[in-house]
Amino acid sequence: MQPSKLDTANSSRVQWDSGDLDQGFVGLIFSCFIEDKHIKTGRVLYQSVQAQKGSEYEWIEIPIHVVPHEAIGNVCLVSAVDLPRFLCQEEQDTYRRIHSLTHLDPITKIHNGSVFTTNLCSQMSAISGPLLQWLEDRLEQNNRNIIEHQKDKEQLTQELASL
Amino acid sequence: MAATISGYTFSSVCYHSANSNSDHEGFLLGEVRQEETLSISDSHIGSSEFLNVIEVHNHEPCAQLFSFYDYAGYVNEENLNRILKDRRKNVIGWYRFRRNTQQQMSFREQVIHKQLTQILGIPDLVFLLFSFISTANSSTHALEYVLFRPNRNRYNQRISLSIPNLGNTSQQEYKVSSVPNTSKNYASIIKEHGAEFFDKDGVMKDIRAIFQVYGALQERVQAVCSEVDQSEQVREKIQGEVNKLKEEITLRKHNTAEEERRLQEATNTVVSLPDDSVLSDPLHSSLTQVVLSGPSVEPSLERPVNSSSPPLYSTALPPDSPSAILLPRPQAVGSPGHPSPSLGLGNGDGSSSDSLNRQATGQEDDDDEDSSEYENLVSEQLQSPSVTEAVTLGRPATLWPDGDAHSPPGS
Repeated sequence: MQPSKLDTANSSRVQWDSGDLDQGFVGLIFSCFIEDKHIKTGRVLYQSVQAQKGSEYEWIEIPIHVVPHEAIGNVCLVSAVDLPRFLCQEEQDTYRRIHSLTHLDPITKIHNGSVFTTNLCSQMSAISGPLLQWLEDRLEQNNRNIIEHQKDKEQLTQELASL
Repeated sequence: MAATISGYTFSSVCYHSANSNSDHEGFLLGEVRQEETLSISDSHIGSSEFLNVIEVHNHEPCAQLFSFYDYAGYVNEENLNRILKDRRKNVIGWYRFRRNTQQQMSFREQVIHKQLTQILGIPDLVFLLFSFISTANSSTHALEYVLFRPNRNRYNQRISLSIPNLGNTSQQEYKVSSVPNTSKNYASIIKEHGAEFFDKDGVMKDIRAIFQVYGALQERVQAVCSEVDQSEQVREKIQGEVNKLKEEITLRKHNTAEEERRLQEATNTVVSLPDDSVLSDPLHSSLTQVVLSGPSVEPSLERPVNSSSPPLYSTALPPDSPSAILLPRPQAVGSPGHPSPSLGLGNGDGSSSDSLNRQATGQEDDDDEDSSEYENLVSEQLQSPSVTEAVTLGRPATLWPDGDAHSPPGS
């Protein structure tokens, strides 16, 4: 997997936006929904790169490690919930732009309205719905774990007191 | 047969797996439904096919390996019920996460799968295998997944697992112009009847309705998310308290054992000194002095190092421990010294993607050799750690001084 010229150019532009090299700026590229239908294997890839100084289209690879963390942080949850909001906003912006065209006849306007409805339904069924399902499951799992940990804590406290 | 899993459920499984410092496993919950597909072709008037679709809704992670089976692969139904509880009826499969392994079921997994099929009464129980591989310089990582549906004849039968997504979001379906039509009848009819679709503001009524649905859904998502956020904090806090208590208990037991051992030694030494001639022996007396005046270690909270016995409670490292950040990374396939016959080494110039290509292992394998050598158990804490911090959004990355990608020490 290699970053495209566009990826590198954008990264380089942001990296040297102020004229000074921002060494802390890296690009993370995720490649999803790859499936080899022949061997029925799916793959999700991610790569960490940084644009090279002096050239817009050269880049180097940066090591990246995932640090384990027991709890899902607020940043991740907010990002997850913001995604459907951004998608809906994009759809609304497009529809408003189209709807402002005055030369369209009613049939075309009805068509465009149906496209908006279809796309919003698609977002709800593919994004918002599964997101809500996952959040509810996660909440249930957390509550179960909290109860179990509470029992463990009581037992351990008693055991510690007896030592 | 086909299978689907939502991106969020898939990500959740990956999250639990990435958090584990060993293999990770759990159960897949969902349902099986039948889909009828109609196809019309020139040779047939119409034909319908029924397709069984497995929908994965949720997963139940196991807290540790061997939680419902032993080393011989014998499944303990009681432990199984304790893990699943009332979710047993929703089980449609199980999953396993391994690092740097081939994508085929191990012999133990086949044995476990067969028993689960019988115990749970699910003839089409599926098995989802995740394999995590990285390039030598740890810049590129890949998570591969295969869904198996083992049956009587073939244990390597695979099913396609799809993750539904939005698809094409280019918004090209909007029309920016109308089809020209000079018919006055056409214009008057669509003007008269088309008006029913719009409200007094000229906005389509359907759009207001669907927007209300969307708004209500987003509001509920927001509310549940807040609850999840709070529960994550509570859970983390209480888990930290439990870990601390376990450490405290382990430490106390260790210190108690140490004291008892010292007392025992002291007692033995006193008992072994009945003869004065022994005391006159300078060598013996010096040895005795050494025994009697051994290092007096205050009963402190110092963590025992290189303890001969493993800690009584093997938990994840506490988050505030520096070694938590330096959690040793399993040896990457393709790294120097790691046997990897089918993968090339990454050379850091951008061509490392070749090292992630692997041979297809979809063919039946007559070799039933137990590939448990690939099953990584809990890693030792004494491996050489990597000092590279992870890059997370919003936090500065730790880069090498010249910005070049170097392999981390120890890999």
